[in-house]
Amino acid sequence: MKAVLSKCLRAFKADGQLRFGVIGVIVLLLVIILAPILAPHDPYSYEFVRLLPPGSEDHFLGTNHMGQDVYSMLIFGVGTSLKVALISALISGALGVLIGGLGGFLGGWVDQVVSEIINIFLMIPTFFLILLIISLFGNSIANVMIVIGITTWPGNAKLMRAQALSLRERTFVRSAVALGETKTQILFKYILPNGIFPVVANTTRSMAGAILTEASLSFLGLGDPNIISWGQMIYQGKSYITSAWWISAFSGIAVILTVIVFYMLGDGLNHVLNPKYNYGRSK
Amino acid sequence: MAYIEIKDATKWYPHKSGKLRDIFRKDKSFVKAVDGVNLSMDRGEILGVIGESGCGKSTLGRMLTRLEDPTKGDVLVDGVSTAELIKKDPLKFRRTVQIVFQNPFDTFTPRDTIQKILLRPLKHHKIGSSKEERLEIIKKALEAGGLVPAEDIMQRYPHELSGGQLQRISIIRAMFLNPSFIIADEPVSMLDVSVRADIINMLIDLARNHDASVVFISHDIALTRYISDHVAVMYLGKVVEYGTADEVINNPKHPYTKALISNCASIDPFEELATIAIEGEPPTPINPGPGCYFAPRCSMACEECLKKYPERYEVSPGHYACCDRIES
Repeated sequence: MKAVLSKCLRAFKADGQLRFGVIGVIVLLLVIILAPILAPHDPYSYEFVRLLPPGSEDHFLGTNHMGQDVYSMLIFGVGTSLKVALISALISGALGVLIGGLGGFLGGWVDQVVSEIINIFLMIPTFFLILLIISLFGNSIANVMIVIGITTWPGNAKLMRAQALSLRERTFVRSAVALGETKTQILFKYILPNGIFPVVANTTRSMAGAILTEASLSFLGLGDPNIISWGQMIYQGKSYITSAWWISAFSGIAVILTVIVFYMLGDGLNHVLNPKYNYGRSK
Repeated sequence: MAYIEIKDATKWYPHKSGKLRDIFRKDKSFVKAVDGVNLSMDRGEILGVIGESGCGKSTLGRMLTRLEDPTKGDVLVDGVSTAELIKKDPLKFRRTVQIVFQNPFDTFTPRDTIQKILLRPLKHHKIGSSKEERLEIIKKALEAGGLVPAEDIMQRYPHELSGGQLQRISIIRAMFLNPSFIIADEPVSMLDVSVRADIINMLIDLARNHDASVVFISHDIALTRYISDHVAVMYLGKVVEYGTADEVINNPKHPYTKALISNCASIDPFEELATIAIEGEPPTPINPGPGCYFAPRCSMACEECLKKYPERYEVSPGHYACCDRIES
């Protein structure tokens, strides 16, 4: 345990991208926890001072057309974005790893079926499917998360399948067979641990994608109307873009920053999780 | 009766041209990687298998360990078919038959330490009752194999060790299960010459002191001669010559063996060697024949050779060769 911790620390010190990503995520988490303290106003309270420009006393990022404080809305929007990102990426990652791993590892007809399913999902215009499902089953935030999860898994599955395909030919898998390990043991102890890291990195990046998708859905008016989200803010600000740019602009910047944080985290993880990573030492 | 009996072991891979007509074609073509190999071994015997690359040595090795199922034929261990053994008790079969692979750098999962890697088979086969006991077994085995300090090695990752160390660990891991039949698939071909001797001596020790049968697959003739009791020469999936190591090397009968040995470098630079050149590449193993597979490249081939595959002759007691034109 101690060894693992010290390794994490060394990796954290050595890789700039990982540092940026981890610090960024910690800041985001702190913002969620401290939201009631950080936000000067209740984002759900409507005041009479509408479309107040930024820099005003008491509302330093201004207010929107309903008189809600933009800064407080941004703070409370972090939670929504992170929740969507995490849960949908987890769904997509788990589905992708299991389905792709099984297909690639077992081969034969299983692989063929899996590949065809992946191809079918890749052919479907994802965003259109999301729109369809949301309009059919309603636009609650849970639906949004699940739908993003089950439409983005094919990318992960393809990555994992390719990994499993090449890993099962490696000598250490053959020697595990020769030592009498069962297929399940090999899948979970050799194929997944050795092949999962590109998927982990990809999943972190698809978190960024999930935030954007949620924002796009909200922008189209298909987000959850009961929840404050950045996409929703951009959508609402759209109509006032010429007179009150700050509503859309600040939430847009927030989306971009969060996406960058997750990208950096994904990239950094991809470097560090390689066992041959040499912690910044030159070769 | 011999301890290990390989009976007509055959592995054919369906050959696909990648075209649609494959589906409709009835006369499927096959890559005959191993084509009817018959061999037998006693306990404590080392059998060397030599031949050029692509002749089916490794496929034979994988078939013996049941990493691949033979298309036809069977392998008997102590009179029992391995197909039955593995169906009845797969773990027991794995304890009986073990394999050492060619590439030591890829034999261990790169994400685990040596300790974790070595603990796994012990736990899986229920050797040792507690973790402490198993660690003690590992430590002792590593020290006995000359890997000191053992505690330090156990904490390392495979990529931090050298090829020779890894191959020794690979053999140690196979020995944990106390196997009586070991396949060594070119165990030293990726190692420096300086560490080869250690690996070879470990294998010899296995055969002599643990009474295990060892199949030593190699393309190094001098090494094979040193280590093995018997030698089998393979060409295109078939054993063309078999006999005691000295007999086959000193007195080769099959023209292919003769050519192989005549091209083997001697330690004496002034020794005059009449090398027999073989022309051309080995023919494709896709539906070879009829006739002797070696005939198209053979210096002694005649018309007869191209018509039917030669029979197996006993040249001298225990020395067999598959050639019709052996001068006695």
